Amino acid sequence: MQDLETDIKNIIAEIIEKDSSEITSDKKFFEDLGMDSMMALEIMAAIEKKYKITIPEEKLTKLTTLKETVAVAQEYLANKKA
Amino acid sequence: MLDIEAIQKILPQRYPFLMIDRVVELEPGKKVVALKNVSFNEGFFGGHFPGKPVMPGALIIEAMAQSAILLTYSPQEAAANKSLSYYLTSVKVRFLNPVFPGDQLEITVEPVKLITGAGIASVVVEAQGKEVCRGEISFSIKSE
Repeated sequence: MQDLETDIKNIIAEIIEKDSSEITSDKKFFEDLGMDSMMALEIMAAIEKKYKITIPEEKLTKLTTLKETVAVAQEYLANKKA
Repeated sequence: MLDIEAIQKILPQRYPFLMIDRVVELEPGKKVVALKNVSFNEGFFGGHFPGKPVMPGALIIEAMAQSAILLTYSPQEAAANKSLSYYLTSVKVRFLNPVFPGDQLEITVEPVKLITGAGIASVVVEAQGKEVCRGEISFSIKSE
């Protein structure tokens, strides 16, 4: 769980080109971190690739904070195991 | 396969900025293989570089981006006669070998993630079987 959050934080940091220490659990991607929708799509694709899961496009609007992103990843990781 | 007339029905680009001559494989949403013949007559060789003609990497990226447009082609949308604009939003590529006059670029595009109105594609460009460039591009599509 902690590892998942750290890994996803690192993925986000690389894509938005910020230090991972700037990305805290509840910081808003768009307002606080200067992200745009294309970066969100890249984050989604990077998570899919790393965990070999498929996240449907309607979940894209859920990727607004690290916490929400981890929750979406967890949901599809759980589906994969089931 | 698409010839140059068919390509122009899909791509909005025109001379001197249409960077694809022929499409040898087109499976929308799955795979595109396009060809670009590089001739010394291309205007940019006059300045890039005098006496040492090398195709600008930026234009190879353009050829990749135009091939990616074909990946998103939907006959249904085309039939609805929608006017679409394409915006390149991110480019991550590595150039492995230079491209010279006489080379034929074979551009292979496959989706990483395609959603409504946007996408990420992985692209490999080869010249006579030798890899010249590979990478990932992201783009958005707006309907106007």
